[in-house]
Amino acid sequence: MKTSHIPSIFAILISAAASSVHAAAGPTDQQIAAIVVTANQVDIDAGKLAESKAQSAEVKQFAKLMVTDHTAVNKSAGDLVHKLKVTPENNATSDSLKKGGDENMANIKKLQGGAFDRAYVDHEVAYHQAVIDALDKTLIPNAQNAELKALLVKVRPSFIAHLEHAQHLQSSMGQAQ
Amino acid sequence: MKSCLLASLIFAMLCGMVEAEAAIQTVAIEGMRYVPERLTVQSGDRIVWKNQDLVPHTVTHETFDSQQIAPEASWSMVFRKSGNYPYRCKLHPGMHGTLIVR
Repeated sequence: MKTSHIPSIFAILISAAASSVHAAAGPTDQQIAAIVVTANQVDIDAGKLAESKAQSAEVKQFAKLMVTDHTAVNKSAGDLVHKLKVTPENNATSDSLKKGGDENMANIKKLQGGAFDRAYVDHEVAYHQAVIDALDKTLIPNAQNAELKALLVKVRPSFIAHLEHAQHLQSSMGQAQ
Repeated sequence: MKSCLLASLIFAMLCGMVEAEAAIQTVAIEGMRYVPERLTVQSGDRIVWKNQDLVPHTVTHETFDSQQIAPEASWSMVFRKSGNYPYRCKLHPGMHGTLIVR
C-alpha cells in the first residue's frame, strides 16, 4: 500500500528539478543549504518515530541508522555553511519538504504494527529516490560554491546505500505477506 | 649484573628494530566503500581505517570490532596472526572488506 504523502514528496522534489530547467536560474547556494538541512531533518524526525514505534527489529534498526546518518550529514552541512558564512534561506522547495514531512508524520502516526512498518519503509524508498533525483538534476548542477558542491557529491553514495537498504526491507516485507 | 644489563639493552634494541620494520597500511572508507576492499599485509603491520565519509562506519569481524568510527576519525589495529579477515560495516549492510595477513 502506497500512502498518500508519497506522491507529494515526489512532486516537491520533481518540481524543484523542473524549476531549474524552466527558470533562468536554479536555486542559490543559500537555498540549496536550506533544502539539504530540511531534507535531512525530515528523515531524522520520521526515523525517531519509527525507532520507537516500528514492530520489526530490522525496521527499528534501519530507523536508528537514518537518525544517525542524517544527523551526521546535517552536522557536516551545518559546519560547512558556518565556515562559508552561508545563511540557509528557506524557499518553496524547503517549505514544501517540511510540509510533506509533517504530513507523512501525521499519516504514519495513525498506523500500528505491520501497517506502520510498511508505510514508513515505502516512504523511505520514495523519499531517498526523490532526494537522489533532486541531487542529480538540481542541487549538484546548481551549486556554485565548490565546497558545497563537493559536500553534495560526497553525500550521494550514502543516499544510494539508504535507498538500497530500504528497498531490501520493502522486498522482504513483500515476501513475508 | 653488567652482562644482564647489556643483554636487556640488546633485547630492547632488537625489539625496536622489529617494531620499526612493521608497516602502517591505510584503508580509506569513502563513498560507502572500503578502499581498497581487499588488502594484503605482513604480520605485525598496523592497519589504519580512515573514515572519509560524512556518516559513521564500523570495521567489524568476529574477532574484533572498531565500534562507530565518526566522520574524519580513524581506527587502527596491529595484526600479528596470519589469516583472512573478512570484515563488514555493522551499520551499512552493503559494505564489506577483506584483510589478508601473511
